[in-house]
Amino acid sequence: MGKWLTELDQLLRGEHTRKDDLRAGRVGLPARRLAVLGIALGLVYGAGMGLFAATGGREHAWRHLVASAAKLPLLFGLTLLVTFPSLYVFAALANSRLRVRETLRLLVAAITVMLGVLASFAPVTVFFTLSTDSYRFMLLLNVVFCGLAGLVGLGFLFRAVNLVFPDEAGAEEGRRARRIFRVWLLLFGVVGAQMAWILKPFVGNPQLPFAWVRDSRGSSFFEFVLRSITDNWR
Amino acid sequence: MIAPRLDVEGLLRGEGLHRVGGGRPLLGRLVLTLALGGALYGGVMGAFGLNAEQALYSAVKVPLLVVVASLVCLPNFWVVNLVLGLGPDFAAAWRGLLSAQATLAVALASLAPVTAFFYASTDSYDFAKLLNFAVFGVATLAAQRTLARHYRPLLARDRRHAVALLAWPALYFFVAGQLAYVLRPFIGNPRFDTTFLREHWWGNVYGDLLWAVRGL
Repeated sequence: MGKWLTELDQLLRGEHTRKDDLRAGRVGLPARRLAVLGIALGLVYGAGMGLFAATGGREHAWRHLVASAAKLPLLFGLTLLVTFPSLYVFAALANSRLRVRETLRLLVAAITVMLGVLASFAPVTVFFTLSTDSYRFMLLLNVVFCGLAGLVGLGFLFRAVNLVFPDEAGAEEGRRARRIFRVWLLLFGVVGAQMAWILKPFVGNPQLPFAWVRDSRGSSFFEFVLRSITDNWR
Repeated sequence: MIAPRLDVEGLLRGEGLHRVGGGRPLLGRLVLTLALGGALYGGVMGAFGLNAEQALYSAVKVPLLVVVASLVCLPNFWVVNLVLGLGPDFAAAWRGLLSAQATLAVALASLAPVTAFFYASTDSYDFAKLLNFAVFGVATLAAQRTLARHYRPLLARDRRHAVALLAWPALYFFVAGQLAYVLRPFIGNPRFDTTFLREHWWGNVYGDLLWAVRGL
């Protein structure tokens, strides 16, 4: 346990992503250990998220908890799986100095940072779960936490990308590579949002029965957001 | 894994076997890369609505489209180069074009998971069409990187390469557009039967386009 926390501590402090190493195109992160750590952190926050549906004397309470806990790491893993090949191909075309492994390591690290931030919010989620019964509030709270975690992960990734592709040397190449990472981030966000939509429920609407995954074919996250906005304006 | 043997990494970076100015085209390697990448994307492209038969057909048709369109345009490209007095550079130019096609196929293959994912989350055929347009557009842009890399030294040597570089896409996209029309369907409209080619496969895409414009 202590060893893992040290690992997380080092990652968050940026000791794995030191300036000199990144400048030289070296990403010496222990990817496998970070992936395991990320999964553990995801389980923690997922369980915190699922607690809302597991309390309140509802049927299959434990299943809710297990389902949310398992689905959160899955969400990030699957999103990475879908978006990684294209990122790698386009980065290589832009003469990125990072090879396949290094690119993957960097992304695993950024995702682990995100999950670390999320896990740190877990006690807050649990606290609110135990003190409120508003589903909408819990939904909003979780969206805010995910958004914040996303921003921190984004900051981590951009700091690293800016160091790997510095402005001075090979300005054109660097600019191109950074642009590709930026576009990829957009793709990651879009796929991630839709992935979450497919894997829902995470919080669990108390009015609906338990389901490991709800049937969401024929609808999308973006449609939902658009409809929510237009419905409120009318 | 076959990717290292084909040196896909080198192709994307313009290094190793695929370094610019490396002599004769690596015909076998590039065509195999093109065929595999195209087949992978075609297989996913045709899998809309989990239609295995269409997936198989499209896996054949996507590489076919790229290879046949290139072969049809090759003689003209050769002549254009000769007329411009660029004969000695032809091998390098052809190598650049083939490398660009192979890059297109690799970029397509790398986007296959994205297409598969969106297929899994929508039933909308129109969305599938738009998605594939976007994917092909992005992959074409990716191919331009490789083409530009190969043409940089050629352009530095002789400005007339710029003309050849304009002539190729003009003819290629003209031919590929019609060929794609003949080889349709690629995605497979779920309302129609699955066939290798449409019953009325012949026709002219540009004529149809003109009709469509008149119909507005």
